Amino acid sequence: MTSNNYEAFRGEVVAWMHGHLRGEYEPLRGCGGLGDPGYDPKLAKRWEQKLARGGWVGIGWPREHGGRALPLSQQVVFHEEYVRAGGPGRLGHIGETLLAPTLMAFGTPEQHRRFLPGILSGTEYWAQGYSEPNAGSDLANVQTRARREGEHWVIDGQKTWTSWAHESDWIFVVARCEPGSQRHHGLVMLLVPLRQAGVTIRPIKQITGESEFNEVFFDGARTEASLHLGAPGEGWKVAMALLGFERGVSTLGQQAGFEREMECLIEVARRNGAARDPVLRQRIAQAAVTLDALRCNALRVLAQDGAEKTGVPISREAYIAKYVWSNWRRDFGRLAADVLGAAADLTDDHDALAQKLRQVWLFSRSDTIYAGANEIQLNLIAERALGMPR
Amino acid sequence: MDLKLTEEQRQIADSVEELLANASDSARMRRAAFEGGGFDAALWHQVAELGGCGVHIPEAHGGLGLGVTELVLVAEAFGRRLACVPWLESVVLAGTTILNAGEAAVAARWLPSVASGEQVVTLDIGLLEGARPTARREGAGWRLDGVLPAVPAAMAAQWLLLPVQGEADSLLVAVALDAPGVSRRARTNHDATRPLAEVRLQGVLVPEADCLARGAAADRALELSRRLTAVVLASELVGVAQQCLDLTVAYLGQRVQFGKPLATFQALKHRCAYMMVAVELARSAVLGAARQFDGQPEEGRMLRLATMARCLADDAAQFCTQEAIQLHGGVGFTWEYDPHLYFKRAQASRTWLGTPSAWRERLAAALLDEAAA
Repeated sequence: MTSNNYEAFRGEVVAWMHGHLRGEYEPLRGCGGLGDPGYDPKLAKRWEQKLARGGWVGIGWPREHGGRALPLSQQVVFHEEYVRAGGPGRLGHIGETLLAPTLMAFGTPEQHRRFLPGILSGTEYWAQGYSEPNAGSDLANVQTRARREGEHWVIDGQKTWTSWAHESDWIFVVARCEPGSQRHHGLVMLLVPLRQAGVTIRPIKQITGESEFNEVFFDGARTEASLHLGAPGEGWKVAMALLGFERGVSTLGQQAGFEREMECLIEVARRNGAARDPVLRQRIAQAAVTLDALRCNALRVLAQDGAEKTGVPISREAYIAKYVWSNWRRDFGRLAADVLGAAADLTDDHDALAQKLRQVWLFSRSDTIYAGANEIQLNLIAERALGMPR
Repeated sequence: MDLKLTEEQRQIADSVEELLANASDSARMRRAAFEGGGFDAALWHQVAELGGCGVHIPEAHGGLGLGVTELVLVAEAFGRRLACVPWLESVVLAGTTILNAGEAAVAARWLPSVASGEQVVTLDIGLLEGARPTARREGAGWRLDGVLPAVPAAMAAQWLLLPVQGEADSLLVAVALDAPGVSRRARTNHDATRPLAEVRLQGVLVPEADCLARGAAADRALELSRRLTAVVLASELVGVAQQCLDLTVAYLGQRVQFGKPLATFQALKHRCAYMMVAVELARSAVLGAARQFDGQPEEGRMLRLATMARCLADDAAQFCTQEAIQLHGGVGFTWEYDPHLYFKRAQASRTWLGTPSAWRERLAAALLDEAAA
């Protein structure tokens, strides 16, 4: 693509966001997601539908599935400009970027017809049913059971840390379908409706005081017999492939969000005098250049041929990506609190910038835990990237 | 910004790495460092043959006419092998200064012999406090007096580029190191792979023709060279850190204690993983900075990019060299094993072209201070 076209596309995104993230959607501007106080999920769903009508959902999907098949470079531009314009956290993210590619790779044509349109139009929302109380970092220890009963799968067990389950319609669940099977054998990936009598959703209160994730209990919950993704018994393969789709183009949207947080911190530091502290000056400069380096690392990952496909060996820079951004942000959270000074401790101060920094300070504690904790990332780096023995 | 490397770029990096893996292996590098005054003339010749001295010098002046990306790819190999050649000094530091000095005649006079490796040119970067040389008018030229306590590559070089305060403005002059009044004394330093020498100037006469630039033009040429060299130096340090990681992973794989290789212990695996995190993030920073330097960014941007590369590579080199010594255990403290050589290079490099904290402070001023905003 010529740089002219590229800039034209950027302009198109900027103009659309400017023209639509206003009026009734104004309260969503800059909101992270359900963890943010004041985030209205009903409004956020209407926003998802507006995005969908504007053609901004599934921009990287193949045309045969209703997508726009835009190249990686344009997808990156979309995510960057979306965040720069203050676009809110995407409720449809799990369906659009995790489940949909997995459906396309493993699903039946009937499953495509049934589920992709709801994701594409922002009318059906998905949650991820992986972690359990005894299967966190050790995901292969999944104990939730699924058995066939007539025309249904019947599910019993418990999932946890299930983001947005209370606002979702469906959940994809990794469950054990072969009694007595061990570890990654005998699993199945099921697509299960959340709104049914056999499912109980209980919010978990986070250290921020808000609830973004939940415990989900399955007591004889049911789904149709045809709603397994991939073959029963091969759920592990499907579950891992899905995680492979997790690294990708939205990273640079996240990066743009961090850049906004950095600007916010600089503004507060200049305002409250922290900018004159010689040690904080060093830390702020270091945080700024490390953030720039994260962007370079993300671009290096994207520059790898076929990085968006599965089955391609992961490059060294991709192995460190999650570790470096999450630890940058956690350090940044502490820097933000130090820049705020005593104001970091206040919960009744409604200054918007200070509030954002306090939110980052606490919320960033989770970045190094979810989606593969630091300790798991280090195992992967040592064993897979450096080839050290298990 | 597209960070994909082209096939040609990979080939350049591979050819230099291949040459150095053999010609500057540990034994040869040590011989050059400790018995050869830190200069391996035969290796310098081979590097020149390969075109390595002309990487970013325009083809019109006998170079390859490539960019900063190619420079950093080559630099990583030099750092990894601690190659005892004045490549950073002559090609990058002096070469880039000459490239930016403005005058076409200056470039035409100096660059071909730098690009061919025929001449080694160095530049005083003000290591250690000395009696800064002064320049006085004498006839149509200048008379220089002063002491430069530590000039890199000064024993191997034929010419020294020297920023000096003239009577009216600053000057950038070239001093022939065999001119009357110049005396050189090799210093001994811990990083013997990057030798330093004291240079004394007593009534040295520099003809007007050897003044490369003056005033703002001289300052600008030096500053542009400093920024670009900071990125290339950072890439050398990525090479230093990478080699320490590789040495450590290999050592832990073969060293058996408690009945199994040390590499099987999770505590030690995580330490190596931390090293790789530092190395890869620094490499991303260097590649990103180099690619953007190739696009000729505006000056504020250049400062930020150079600070990024410099600071992250410094972190990686400091951390990985320390960890390499620690994880080698007792032998890590011996002269026989290599980690100490890299540790010494990492420390020596910190003070080149401004310390990382000085770079950070300059960036902080640009980000935080009203006047700069």
